[in-house]
Amino acid sequence: MYKTDVRGPLILGDKNYRQISDDVIAPINQPIPGWWKVAFFIALLMAIFGVLALYQTVAVGLGTWGVNNSVGWGWEIINFVWWIGIGHAGTAFSIFLLILRQKWRTSINRAAEAMTVVAVMCAAIFPAIHMGRVWLAFFIFPYPNTRGSLWVNFNSPLFWDFIAISAYLLISASFWYFGMVPDFATIRDKATSKIKKAVYGFFAFGWTGSSREWLRYEALSYVLGGIAAVLVVSVHSIVSTDFAVSVIPGWHTTVFPPYFVVGAIFSGFAMVMTLMIIIRKMYKFQEYVTDSHLNAIAKILVFVSLIMGTAYATEVFIGWYSGSEYEMFTFFKNRVTGDYAFQFWAMVICNAFIPQLFWFKKVRQNLTIAFIISIFINIGMWYERFNILITSLSKDYLPSSWTTYSPTWVEIGIYIGTLGLFTMGVLLFFKYIPMIAISEVKSVLKVTSVNTNDQKHMSHE
Amino acid sequence: MNKTSIIGVFDEENALMAAVDQVKKEGIEINEIYTPYPMHEVLEAMGKKTRFTFAAFLYGFAGASGVLAFLYYTSVIDWPINYGGKPTNAFPSFIVVTIVLTILTVTLASLFTFSARAAIYPGKSFILPDKRSTDDKFVIVFDKSLLKGGAEKLNALLLEKGAVEVYEKELHPQN
Repeated sequence: MYKTDVRGPLILGDKNYRQISDDVIAPINQPIPGWWKVAFFIALLMAIFGVLALYQTVAVGLGTWGVNNSVGWGWEIINFVWWIGIGHAGTAFSIFLLILRQKWRTSINRAAEAMTVVAVMCAAIFPAIHMGRVWLAFFIFPYPNTRGSLWVNFNSPLFWDFIAISAYLLISASFWYFGMVPDFATIRDKATSKIKKAVYGFFAFGWTGSSREWLRYEALSYVLGGIAAVLVVSVHSIVSTDFAVSVIPGWHTTVFPPYFVVGAIFSGFAMVMTLMIIIRKMYKFQEYVTDSHLNAIAKILVFVSLIMGTAYATEVFIGWYSGSEYEMFTFFKNRVTGDYAFQFWAMVICNAFIPQLFWFKKVRQNLTIAFIISIFINIGMWYERFNILITSLSKDYLPSSWTTYSPTWVEIGIYIGTLGLFTMGVLLFFKYIPMIAISEVKSVLKVTSVNTNDQKHMSHE
Repeated sequence: MNKTSIIGVFDEENALMAAVDQVKKEGIEINEIYTPYPMHEVLEAMGKKTRFTFAAFLYGFAGASGVLAFLYYTSVIDWPINYGGKPTNAFPSFIVVTIVLTILTVTLASLFTFSARAAIYPGKSFILPDKRSTDDKFVIVFDKSLLKGGAEKLNALLLEKGAVEVYEKELHPQN
């Protein structure tokens, strides 16, 4: 039988099953804390600002943005790719670790998946409004229409993108939801207020935990896990083809799909770390999200950071090795040096150098530093997308079409709005949904905790 | 519907499994077992198998061929467009859409299958013998009318194996 001696106990404190339910449900039953209200209010203001900016975009048009003929993709696409990247971690986390039978996922996967769903919703706003006439966005559905039936272009990466994002949103949301059904039943059966019982009872879909249900539940989670693993890799590969299939210098490269997937997992895991440190601190979940959990995430981050550094070096090397003067110019005159050198080096330092601090055990254990590094990674990943988009577009083949780009308040407003939306979504998740997968944590309690009043250990996987 | 059931409540999964093994040895039929988390030992003991993975494969097969057929129909038969002289049946670039939509088909169809086969859907009226089983108890349920040797023997057996409570109850569906 498999025992995680290397990783240490997954759940600290001598917990029993009831304590796990009570601990995880506690934030739902307790009154809303003050910091939550303040954070929600600020996030709401940000979201309202975002709605104003969206209104401006729709009412006046894309002319309110700073994009122009040369730099046709600005902050919207940067932020779209950034959010999709963050949205990768939840599924990557749950599914890869499910397939690899990593039991330490159980305390973290719920929050990671929640983050995924909210981040992908934020991401989906950008391509929709970038179409210009958002009220005609349904034209992208391949449906028999009165335009002849003129079908969409199935060979276009932009259409692939639409398919990939909608599928990803649907699948990650349903994977997340069905994981929560048994926990909703737990809340239903422990609820004392009638309203809570009715509401959580509705969302529990009549779950009882009978062997008939668990059998199919387990089968479903492995089927979804197996096929969604393909999706995790494919979604961001498809996003990268938006760039890689074009002929713009700096984009036209085969390294893009793996580079994007790894980057997405990198920023997503960094966001998971940010979020778990907050959850642990604010809700006192130190016994479930232990130091060794965060240590494991930090180790993944340092490994992925090395891949990121390799990818950056490869891009620059190939820029020289290709012998193409346009590639040479883009990488050496417009990224490593030149107008956008700051953004390039910010990317390299934040993503490839700063996370190397996680090699030191002291840094991994100091959660304040770990928190700051995780924020730096997300800033670095934002600069990476800026770097890819703006440097390549602003100075391409024809010097006569070179231009600069700076965002208007509308573009910044939409970004701030999505940050607010994300924060609101995460805060609502903190309050109304069990942040830790109760039934999954119970299934690893006896195998890996310090709870020793049981002679015979059983494994459930 | 409202038959009397005998309900055994356990604190520990090992005690539950010991009782299950003994009950099966005596040839007593178990109606259902309710656990707070999935236990493979229980699923094995109940002798339940699922063809879920095979169903998922069929969905995937149907999804993949359906999507490819749709792409072929729209791009080659219904409205072929000349993109710089490239073949209208652009098979390699159809693969991307096919993979993603196949995954979507499998996911949605599996969810509906799960919902139907496990009988999990909104507004369902369900039978939950002991509501502590979604929290920290392991609950085993027997149909009293199916017992041959009488309830006392079963009660004694369950208690001997470490049941914390054994009681009789008429089960009603609840909302």
